[in-house]
Amino acid sequence: MNNQALTPESTAETREIVLAARAAGSRLLPAGRRTWPGAGGWTRDGGTPVSTSQLDTVHHYEPADLILTAGAGIGLDRLARIVGPNRQWLPFDAPGSSAGTLGAAVASGTSGPLRTRYGATRDNVLGLEVVTGDGRTLRIGGRVVKNVAGYDLVRLFTGSRGSLGIITRVSVRLFPIPGADETLLFAGGPSEAVSMARTVCTSEVPVAAAELVEGEEVGADRAMVLAVRLLGGPREVEESRRRIRAALGTEPWRALHDGESRRFHTARIGWEEGASLVARLAALPDRLDAALAAARACATRANGGAQGSAAITADALQGLVRVRASLPDVDPPTGLAETLATARRDVEALGGSLTLSHAPPQVATRVGWTGSRRETAALTERIKALFDPDSVLAPRCP
Amino acid sequence: MIPGRLTKELARICGRDAVIIDRDRLLVYESDALTAYRHRPGAVVLPRTTEEVRRTVQAVVRHGLPIVPRGAGTGLSGGAVALNGAVVIGTARMNRILAIDAPNRRAVLQPGVINAELSAAAAGQGLYYAPDPSSQTACTIGGNVAENSGGPHCLKYGVTSRYVTGLTVVLPDGSVVKAGGQGREAPGYDLVGLFVGSEGCFGIATEIEVGLLPVPEGVRTLLGIFDRIEDAGRAVSEIISAGLLPAAMEIIDGPTIRAVEDSVFAAGYPTDAEAALVIEFDGLEAGLDDEAERATRFCLRAGAREVRGARDEEERVALWKGRKKAFGAMGRIAPDLLVQDATVPRTTLPAILKGISEIGKRYNLIVANVFHAGDGNLHPNILFDRRDLDELERVEHASKEIMQLCVDAGGTITGEHGVGLDKKHHMPLIYGPDELDTMWGIRRVFDPGAVMNPGKVLPEETEPSHANRGQDPARGELVGAPAPA
Repeated sequence: MNNQALTPESTAETREIVLAARAAGSRLLPAGRRTWPGAGGWTRDGGTPVSTSQLDTVHHYEPADLILTAGAGIGLDRLARIVGPNRQWLPFDAPGSSAGTLGAAVASGTSGPLRTRYGATRDNVLGLEVVTGDGRTLRIGGRVVKNVAGYDLVRLFTGSRGSLGIITRVSVRLFPIPGADETLLFAGGPSEAVSMARTVCTSEVPVAAAELVEGEEVGADRAMVLAVRLLGGPREVEESRRRIRAALGTEPWRALHDGESRRFHTARIGWEEGASLVARLAALPDRLDAALAAARACATRANGGAQGSAAITADALQGLVRVRASLPDVDPPTGLAETLATARRDVEALGGSLTLSHAPPQVATRVGWTGSRRETAALTERIKALFDPDSVLAPRCP
Repeated sequence: MIPGRLTKELARICGRDAVIIDRDRLLVYESDALTAYRHRPGAVVLPRTTEEVRRTVQAVVRHGLPIVPRGAGTGLSGGAVALNGAVVIGTARMNRILAIDAPNRRAVLQPGVINAELSAAAAGQGLYYAPDPSSQTACTIGGNVAENSGGPHCLKYGVTSRYVTGLTVVLPDGSVVKAGGQGREAPGYDLVGLFVGSEGCFGIATEIEVGLLPVPEGVRTLLGIFDRIEDAGRAVSEIISAGLLPAAMEIIDGPTIRAVEDSVFAAGYPTDAEAALVIEFDGLEAGLDDEAERATRFCLRAGAREVRGARDEEERVALWKGRKKAFGAMGRIAPDLLVQDATVPRTTLPAILKGISEIGKRYNLIVANVFHAGDGNLHPNILFDRRDLDELERVEHASKEIMQLCVDAGGTITGEHGVGLDKKHHMPLIYGPDELDTMWGIRRVFDPGAVMNPGKVLPEETEPSHANRGQDPARGELVGAPAPA
């Protein structure tokens, strides 16, 4: 596989690359800065990377509209620096490096713990320009917050991981940065932490995020830490803090304010980086305990029964548990595939799912990147064929 | 009329009383809330279950007839109108809430459940369904899914598609697929997101899973009275720029205020004002007064004559009354109403409002504006009498010019009402041939036989294989009188 990325400097050039690849019968692999973790089984057989990193112009930004249009290659870090002085932000806190690009964030479509408060990535992408696998340049959606003109191709492309087209331009909705940002850390044993999370998530307090992390990761001496993030006006946050303490009947182990709180969550965004196994277990929030148990079994197995690198974390508001591990290159621990398969059966029985974002090929082949979706497989194939009839783009829906 | 054999077959599937072929009873189904488009369906079928919908779809398709899904018929784009003798599949009897899962803040329901009834059913558990179209006491969630409906409070909470987490859909080939619904992480393409807003062209949703929100603890409602509508528009922009996020910001213009105050819906708005701005904040009690005070200051600074506040529910209902009853009040001024639905970038609002007023004057038409100012989602209402053919023609011209004005400002042709029959010929204003081609393609992915709600959303002349199609394309012009049967 040729690893040298092609770096088009315009949408027209991107289109030429796609048309040339189509004519030559070769494959392309859409990418941003190639820092984003995880192909999730979407990329099966290589292809020449096409990086949109040169498409990083800000085309339109009117702060009072809270809308920004930029080339897909703009880094999320640079975007934050542009809109930050106006006290605005893009609360896409999807897992990945802040050096990742806006286009890649949209293409991967995953969302972080702020989803409940701000909506998922899919809810905040207003418009896209894409070059499809058959070399058409489409401008879909727009740059207004409400738009129902025609079918929602923007949502189809969000999360399609480059399998339908290369995203060249993105319009997103921005949000005002709240006046106060606070994170309360409550430490406890494994079941205690889950029960605290339930209390917080079902309380009337509008928490922005509620994450469970292993105590060791944040220097706590208890097994788990519940990180409750409060965002809003200073008085609202103060009142929220008071009520959460009252609801849990305990003081937080630590409280992080403003810059500290932001840095804590920024660090959390990079949690998956460098791991060779990442599994995402989704369940309904009130079955978080079962999903956590399944995830723990996977982590223990990934460690080969011994103390190892594997860790788990959970987004309690969403009911999403993640497992991360760095596995030996050659031989994944014995029984890992079986444990993952069992975990998938367990969460599927509860109406949830287990997907692998990262896994060594031997594991992924045996477990499958996602559970079976036979019902929608035919639709998925037809959608791929509509945008990329000759499979010029390497990614396919797993 | 549909063939007798089909009538019998449908009666066998859904029960005799679930099949309507009687001409008088079909009258009700001639139009949706945009009454300018009228076409009588071949028949109306009212199934109760996914299985009945599946078998109904199969039977109708076997007889070569098109299908139009229909909720409560409150739509404002002619989307539920049955062209070419299509069979309407109504969801009126699919009105059961299957589960309210309070611990997970979600509900599973049939498509015919009324929007407001879902919130009422969840209220006991402190939850509600956020999207609140103005027709929420009548419209169905299935219809909201088809149109990706909005509402005043979508400013803070987002539109329908943010809340739909899973769907069971009967496709035109009679297959049943489930999409989403596996927590929030359904793998693969976002088929749920693609289906929401597809205006009945992809299939019929027979089971819908939605997210619910906790009822906010406190609410503060303000009413700003302005002598100039541009000032109200500026106040909106400044409130948003300052980082405040109200739950709703709605503007009612002078002509609308006067229509409301002249009617039985009089809400006590000063009739010499040129704009009333309703602002609402919600959330924890703590901090709401601060926000309301800041918003009040922005209104006064932008030139508001006065700002009234509501402290209790009764006062709140009074402040909202003028906004909520605006459409009803306008119905008393003129027999017909054309509601537009363009969305523009918020900062262009003052210029756009001026432009709309000039277009109205030029065509000698009454244009009244009631709109979701915070979202930039305009609803210019052109009042007319469709029996006056000259006026009708002016309405068409003015309507197109208003649309073009909004598109030129970076806006779109519809923010929440959908394209339907009404705006399909405006689609080329915002999409080129490649985009329209792709939309035809995606429609065929779901509906290769073109049986689901044909003649809607996409203009026939843009269809790639238009020349080869046997079907008589129904035009989307306004009709001067009810279409002959």
